[in-house]
Amino acid sequence: MWDQVGQALSQSMNRMLSQMASLLPGVVALIAALLVSTLVAWVLAAILGRSLTSIDFDRRVAQWGFPALAEWSPAKSPTLLATRAIAWTAMLIGFLIGISAFDVALTSQFVLRLFAYLPNVLAAVVVLAAGSIVARFLARSVLIGAVNMNLQYARLLSAGVKWLVTVLAVAMALEHLSVGGGIIRLAFGILFGGIVLALALAVGLGSKELVSRSLDREASKTSSQHTQEPVGHL
Amino acid sequence: MDAISQPELERIERAGGADLVVGILDPEPDDQAGAAVAMVREALTELSADLSRVSRVVVLCNNGTHAPVATAPHLDSADGRGQSPAVFIYNLPAPGPAETSEPSMSHAYRSVFAVGGKLGVRACGVIASELRAVTPQWIYRLIQPVLELEFDLVAPRYTRHKMQGLLNRSVLSPLHRALYGEQLHNPVGPDFGLSGKLLHRALGQDAGSPRRTESDPVVSIAPTAACGGFRVCESHLGARTQPPTDWMNLSSLLATVLGPYFIEMERQAAFWQRIRGSIAVPGFGLSEAASEDSGPVDVRRMIESFQLGAQNLQDVWGLILPPLTLLELRKLSRLPQDQFRMPDDLWVRIVYDFALGHRLRTISRDHLLRSITPLYLGWIASYALEMESAGPADIEARIERLARAYEAGKPYLVSRWRWPDRFNP
Repeated sequence: MWDQVGQALSQSMNRMLSQMASLLPGVVALIAALLVSTLVAWVLAAILGRSLTSIDFDRRVAQWGFPALAEWSPAKSPTLLATRAIAWTAMLIGFLIGISAFDVALTSQFVLRLFAYLPNVLAAVVVLAAGSIVARFLARSVLIGAVNMNLQYARLLSAGVKWLVTVLAVAMALEHLSVGGGIIRLAFGILFGGIVLALALAVGLGSKELVSRSLDREASKTSSQHTQEPVGHL
Repeated sequence: MDAISQPELERIERAGGADLVVGILDPEPDDQAGAAVAMVREALTELSADLSRVSRVVVLCNNGTHAPVATAPHLDSADGRGQSPAVFIYNLPAPGPAETSEPSMSHAYRSVFAVGGKLGVRACGVIASELRAVTPQWIYRLIQPVLELEFDLVAPRYTRHKMQGLLNRSVLSPLHRALYGEQLHNPVGPDFGLSGKLLHRALGQDAGSPRRTESDPVVSIAPTAACGGFRVCESHLGARTQPPTDWMNLSSLLATVLGPYFIEMERQAAFWQRIRGSIAVPGFGLSEAASEDSGPVDVRRMIESFQLGAQNLQDVWGLILPPLTLLELRKLSRLPQDQFRMPDDLWVRIVYDFALGHRLRTISRDHLLRSITPLYLGWIASYALEMESAGPADIEARIERLARAYEAGKPYLVSRWRWPDRFNP
């Protein structure tokens, strides 16, 4: 009987060792993939960093209308943010390649699902980026338009438009990521509907007199300027 | 684009071509139908002694119907060999359905130029001002220097009181003078007399370019003449009637006028960077005294607009203007009304930086052009306060001082234009 127990233990140990040995190439491959990807990440980051520095990317980002990007960036440098993003992406790809070197169904499935999810992430990023650009553009349009119309609450209007578009973009991005599902839709509906309803009530009921006085004032301003001021531009 | 169909053009060419094309671009009111044609005829008849060498004239009118097909030509003199010239009358083609008034005006100019170019006319006159104030003398004064004195461009000079033509006075005229070295009072017309040579140059510069990159004919005429070495003069036309200012759409007006001007500036950059100083151009006709000013202007709201802009548009202006200018604007916005004065060099730098921002597309061009509105109102307020009790001579001196400031600031523009990334405090 002890022989049989010993045999069973020895077989189990052999199986264990052989399984560990079968994992070893995967581990080595993972380490190699990580090392190579780190090297690639470093090279890419260096090239990108130099290129962006040469075109004065940090200043241009602010000029293009994204000064807030500097606030979110490490050391307030969008160049650093871009180089780190590219480095981490390269390392993540290396890690995924390394993981897929394990001949294990579970990891393969994990990698497959991760890759299948990537388009959603990309779509969400695109939606967020587009939303941010549109929000900024519209906010600036509203701000300039409102200032030119002499509206004292120009900045408030501009901020309102910016946040409305941003909220819409975030909701769409979360929809793409399949995060939250119905809750997000419901929350967005309530939030957006609430804002519109509040505005409608403000104009229609609560601030009726204020709004009408404000509109009257604007109209009288322009009409009085029309009639009294002999100003011509061309 | 074609105001005259090909068979009609051939018919005019068979009759010996045309010497002169006159475009009357302001739509006639219904109750004054035919007034434009009558005016052109009167001008040609009254002045037939001077214009004896003109035997055939094509008149293009905007009679409000925008009929795309030409009306039957009206010939005063069938053979065109009499003392009074033969007059062929056509309607301007209809603008596209999506075109607003400004593109429609450009479209009308192009139509007139195209007809003039096809017929190889010696001179072309364009009247785009409101017809109420236009007299036959206007046509004569715009065309006579071209035909008799061989000038290539006759720019208008209007009689104005101090608060009229402010965009011309504050930006267009002094900027044209600083850039192209010619002291024109109204470089963007809108009424012009052109020679056949200049007409061909104006038509040639857009040949082959896609529609969206075509230059605005109204804005590009004077720069084209200056850059091509054409002979330029001015004619006093008298007082011009303009519709009242639509204050709610002032930013649209600024965008419509300054946008094409800045684009033209970009096109001619190689030329104007070499120009230093300016010369007065010959003037014809007698200047009339302006009518009485209708009292002081209420500048309070203009200053309020400026202050509101200074409070809220710092982020936008910060992308276009250097920090020192922003600082000066902030200081200016805190001044009480009686001390509110915008220094000339500050205004000049603002205009130059906006032109540069437009070229570099620092922000959306529409945003850029509209965001200048509070600054422009600030300049008007400052000018109005300064000129409150000024006479015509003082106003001329004031505008001359501003024009000199533009010339003095030109090295700044050239430097920033060439090296926009260089540190600019």
